[in-house]
Amino acid sequence: MQLSTLLSFGQPLTSESLLASAAYTLSEIPRRLVRRILALEKLPFIVGTNPFVARTLDTYRSSFAFLAQYPGVKTLEENAFFSTQLEQLVQSHANDIPTMAKGFQECARYMTPSEINGFLDGAIRSRISVRLIAEQHIALSRALESTTFPNTNHYGVIQPNCSPAQMIRSCAAFVSDLCEATLGGTPPIEINGHADAVFAYVPVHLEYILTELLKNAFRATVEQRQQQHGKQASGLYPPVVVTISPPQRDQRSFNQPTFLSMRIRDEGGGVATKNMPHVFSYAFTTAGHRHHDVVDDEMDGGPYAAQHISGGAAVDADESLQQPGQSTLFSEITGKGLQTGVGTIAGLGYGLPMSRLYARYFGGSLDLFSLEGWGTDVFLKLRCLNDAVDIEI
Amino acid sequence: MSSSANACFRAHRPVLSFVWTPHRHASTSSAPKVMHFYQNKQLELYASKSAHRLTLRQLVFFGRSMNAERIIKSANYVRTELPVRIAHRLRDLQALPFVVVTQEEVAKVYELYWSAFEKLRRFPPIATLDENDRFCEFVSSLLDEHATVIPALSLGLSLSSPHLPPEKLDAFMRRMLVSRISRRVLAQHHIALSASLRNGENSRSSGHVGIIHTHLDVRESIEKCVELLTAAPPRVFSPEADGEELAGKLNCPRVIVDGHAGTKFAYIQEHFEYIMFELLKNAMQHRTASTTPLVRATIAAGKDDIQVRISDEGGGLTHSTVKAPSDLFSFSHVRNTTRMENERIGALRTVSASPRGMRATVDEQVTEWKSTDPGKTADMIAHQRIGIGLPMSYIFATYFGGSLELVSLDGWGTDVYLRLPKLGTRLEEIEV
Repeated sequence: MQLSTLLSFGQPLTSESLLASAAYTLSEIPRRLVRRILALEKLPFIVGTNPFVARTLDTYRSSFAFLAQYPGVKTLEENAFFSTQLEQLVQSHANDIPTMAKGFQECARYMTPSEINGFLDGAIRSRISVRLIAEQHIALSRALESTTFPNTNHYGVIQPNCSPAQMIRSCAAFVSDLCEATLGGTPPIEINGHADAVFAYVPVHLEYILTELLKNAFRATVEQRQQQHGKQASGLYPPVVVTISPPQRDQRSFNQPTFLSMRIRDEGGGVATKNMPHVFSYAFTTAGHRHHDVVDDEMDGGPYAAQHISGGAAVDADESLQQPGQSTLFSEITGKGLQTGVGTIAGLGYGLPMSRLYARYFGGSLDLFSLEGWGTDVFLKLRCLNDAVDIEI
Repeated sequence: MSSSANACFRAHRPVLSFVWTPHRHASTSSAPKVMHFYQNKQLELYASKSAHRLTLRQLVFFGRSMNAERIIKSANYVRTELPVRIAHRLRDLQALPFVVVTQEEVAKVYELYWSAFEKLRRFPPIATLDENDRFCEFVSSLLDEHATVIPALSLGLSLSSPHLPPEKLDAFMRRMLVSRISRRVLAQHHIALSASLRNGENSRSSGHVGIIHTHLDVRESIEKCVELLTAAPPRVFSPEADGEELAGKLNCPRVIVDGHAGTKFAYIQEHFEYIMFELLKNAMQHRTASTTPLVRATIAAGKDDIQVRISDEGGGLTHSTVKAPSDLFSFSHVRNTTRMENERIGALRTVSASPRGMRATVDEQVTEWKSTDPGKTADMIAHQRIGIGLPMSYIFATYFGGSLELVSLDGWGTDVYLRLPKLGTRLEEIEV
């Protein structure tokens, strides 16, 4: 499905177009859910019997059944009800990723790393699509209810003049609090380049990506400094510097996609060369393991092979099932990892691969370069959605 | 006649028959006279031997305690190893399409290699220090003779781009240039060690073993290059500034060096400085009248590697002639259309025709632009327009298994990441 089709229901937004959007949503989402169900059913039997994988399959099946049997939406009232149902459906899938993560971690011996990575890539990408379609419809529904100007253009979840600088500041504030609470210190953020650049994008996507990248940068900076100067290393943390570069309009290429670029640079000690091949693997994390070599060269397990047993992991793990060197993600999520009441600053190990998926979703990119012992640069390139002629979602 | 007799008959016809294409082909008189099909046997003998890949550590270790016996051993090692490596390259050339190797510039290189091969394999074994001196002179002259290989090959292959897919062209260039570097390393290292022995130098005090600096200070090297570039005439950065004094009107970029300041490692000084010089030259190219552009060189000492990142604010690859930054390392005009610009081709011809050629060193460039001799100045200008600094830097960087990556923040600037192994335990990346 083309992004332009999705957007067309709001351009202009009318009662008819909204009902057409509902119809489209009712046909598109079930189709994608079916693909997810089929993918889950194709997994090895033993994997399918894992309770967490089974739970995910159940959730998808019931969502599919619900939508497939849903009567047509023919009036605005029916749509209002439909929208609330849709919201609940989205909510019911909120923990899909951690649930599947737990399941796959337990099944690591039954699937290869690339099989797991491939499956998760497909699952997360599909999830992004479903949420996009659902939330676009919900947004348009709300817009029609509240707008005083009928028949105008509404972009739903896309904000035509999203300001990266503003988003960076708000994400940095959140991450800063988290960092301070968890580690006792936080670096300043610096924004340079074309700070006033704006572009058309989906704000929640940008927010997710920036939050994850800033978490990495902030945590690394504080840990690195503390390792060098002791826990009392106050005040002088080197800043995390974000450089913004606006979309380039090349004279020669009018219909070419344009991108807004950002570079997030930290002095957090960088990534060890031998860990570089693993940074985009699901569930690889260096959280809590700064003092040890993170990758055990003898190991050749799943994508979690690079993880060490963290402090509380042994407590709730079934030792007979656990592969050497693995931690339990569940313990990270439930509180034995680096967690505060506000949220986790690190631990799942999904931040980078998911951020990359989000960046690539509309045709952008995310690349990481590291200076071992010094710091890391992450290059983020996001597609401007105002001329979204060819994007498949 | 039977068909097999027919085949025999065909095989005995003269090999040299040229098909006229728009290419400039070697005319019959200067044609590779050495295309004697049946004389290839000697070459095949040498080509069937494996090259012995060395590590930096081995080069240092061997060169540390020099005496007459060891230098003679080294001489014979070089004497027998070089022809093997050249033989591999010749076989590689022979496998290229006929139309490519008969192209004038490529043919020139082929002949040079063949002649070097013949001379080397016929050089008698070395048994005395005097014979070693003669050997050093001989090898030195060979190195001089081959000074035009890089521009000639680059030009020849650019013009032959239609006949070679980009991957094949780049792979071939890479094998040629890495091998070339490796032979020069062997030769120059031996010549330097011989000179040290002759002059009674002690490697421990000088910090040099042959061509290797055992405690190369990264920061110092960078600052040396920055100094040279800051003092360079404006036309080094912008060929259009020929004669026009844009100096003073445009602000020279300011270079900040940060990171792990005291980093030192053992490496071939000339290689490291060439890479730094070329990268800084690119980074310092962007000048404005209004502000002082900033270039930042960050040094990082990792566990097994040294890394240097050079960040500039020169706008990145906005109006780009390449699809991906890595295409800048390519010799192919399919990947990088600027390679076919008339200016580039013309410059390559000039440098290729000049006896001085191009050795890919910092000194060579600095001497040229310091000179007031108009001949040398013309050479320098041509040199600047060749545009193979990045591909050559890439080859140097990967020679001992390092890496070079370029990332653009389109509209803002460029970051280049250099990684070099620091333990000296990586093998040369030549084909065996």
